[in-house]
Amino acid sequence: MFRSRLLPWDYAVRNLMRRPTRTVLTLGALAVVVLLILVVVGFIRGLESSLAVSGDSHAVLVYSVTAEDNIENSAIAARTPALLTASLPGIQKRYGVSYVSPELYLGTRVKTSETVLSGLGLVRGVTPVAPMVRRGVRLLAGNWPKPGEVIVGRLAVSKLGCESNSLSVGSQIEFENRRWRISGTFAAGGGSFESEIWCQLPDLQQVLKRQDLSLVALILKPGFNPAEVNLFCKQRTDLELQSIAETEYYASLQKHYKPMRLLAWFVVLLVSGAGIFAGLNVMYGAVAGRVRELATLQAIGYRRRAILVSLVQEGMLLSATGALIAAAIAVPAVNGVAVRFTMGAFVLRIDTVALLFGGGIGLLLGILGAIPPAIKVLRGPVAQSLKAI
Amino acid sequence: MHVKFFSLTLLVGSVFATGCTSSSPPVASSVDSSNNPYLVSSEPSGAIPVGTARETVTDKQDVTLIGHIGGSQKPFVDGMAAFTIVDPKVAYCGAAEGCPTPWDYCCEQNEVKQNIATIKVVDSNGTTVAQSAKELLGVKELSLVVVQGNAQRDEAGNLTLLATKVFLKGQAK
Repeated sequence: MFRSRLLPWDYAVRNLMRRPTRTVLTLGALAVVVLLILVVVGFIRGLESSLAVSGDSHAVLVYSVTAEDNIENSAIAARTPALLTASLPGIQKRYGVSYVSPELYLGTRVKTSETVLSGLGLVRGVTPVAPMVRRGVRLLAGNWPKPGEVIVGRLAVSKLGCESNSLSVGSQIEFENRRWRISGTFAAGGGSFESEIWCQLPDLQQVLKRQDLSLVALILKPGFNPAEVNLFCKQRTDLELQSIAETEYYASLQKHYKPMRLLAWFVVLLVSGAGIFAGLNVMYGAVAGRVRELATLQAIGYRRRAILVSLVQEGMLLSATGALIAAAIAVPAVNGVAVRFTMGAFVLRIDTVALLFGGGIGLLLGILGAIPPAIKVLRGPVAQSLKAI
Repeated sequence: MHVKFFSLTLLVGSVFATGCTSSSPPVASSVDSSNNPYLVSSEPSGAIPVGTARETVTDKQDVTLIGHIGGSQKPFVDGMAAFTIVDPKVAYCGAAEGCPTPWDYCCEQNEVKQNIATIKVVDSNGTTVAQSAKELLGVKELSLVVVQGNAQRDEAGNLTLLATKVFLKGQAK
């Protein structure tokens, strides 16, 4: 009966308290490893979520066939929205207004009133129909822009790399040799629009001396096949148009960023590997100093398996505490931090998946770090281990 | 001397002839034509190239066209039996040039504008068949097809064919 018993749980806990300096250092190392993993996984989750929520399942984008996959390079005729509205019966309508949003989109240097240097911003010229088509967009403060005014997304600050108060309502910014007053700020449910600056389409066409558009975004009635829009584009070869479902467009961007995501996962793998080796090193040191103690436990009747379980308990206790500390730091300090990238900006997301991943890796560090040194020590003859210094 | 010059001219001529475009003899579609009301096993007669058709064919005229499937990176409409074809006289990039999408005629965009037509495979009610042309007909990009149907013209000069018969004449390598 005695032989099948495990060591008491508090034996593992007390052992950790016996060497407080070593325990605290190990805990710190494990917490740093898990924190790094949380940051990288948060980066991947943030990027994926930003692209995933940017697409509306009923929205279709119509743009130039010569732009290939880059809507930024697209230029289409100004009459395209009217032609689409007249030709496609499946476009959603409300009170006589068609859900068709003509847009002009460009990346340009934007200067805030407080900065000498300008940052690369994304500007979209829109009409009042835009919020009907871009259904995730919500005004957070201020008003819809009048001529000479803009509204800025809540991540535009990160995209431009400027102070947050320089993009507050009432401030002024400058792009395309014209000063613009900020009339409001908006959110887009975490979508890519949040890093953009929106102004009235005629205003932007005027300063750019352009009459064309970059794209037309439209919403289809439920049940209407998006292929009908594509068929219209194929039939009107003179207009040189192509269409793509918005969700499909952002899915293609996900593919575009696949190498970056793979690299990030590789970093997770490297950090985890480094953490496991650090854990192994610490546990080898900890167990090597307890050879006589472990042999004594065997001599009084505890089986090797029970001692191994106790050592794993110690490792897991330490790593779980480290993971909790890392999560406690990451959630308030890292979650929601904006990161700039080519397409705009997104926020790091320490969500349930990231926490589960970080916690899982943390526990794995504890288990994998404890087992090899424990096996090494317990494999030796008890009589010889009792005499160990 | 004249023989040598003639041989050299022949050699250079043959290299130029095969450099840009390569077509192959008729091929069998991967789809069984006996059970397919749209795919025919014998070539409809009197086919005219797309470029000629754009100049001569009028609205609602019955016509047979010949052309390569292409004209853009994605010449097929997903989920519908519709695609664009380009006049065989327009050259696309040869395999040796290493172009990943030769069917978009990227080097001949201006030529394509006047030599492209849209094909919609329609049922007896005149409705476009709701199945991808690739699955329905066993065709793919740069397939050389002969299509028979009724022409639709618009004021911008675009040519659409409501096709009832499709013959797969060949497939470029």
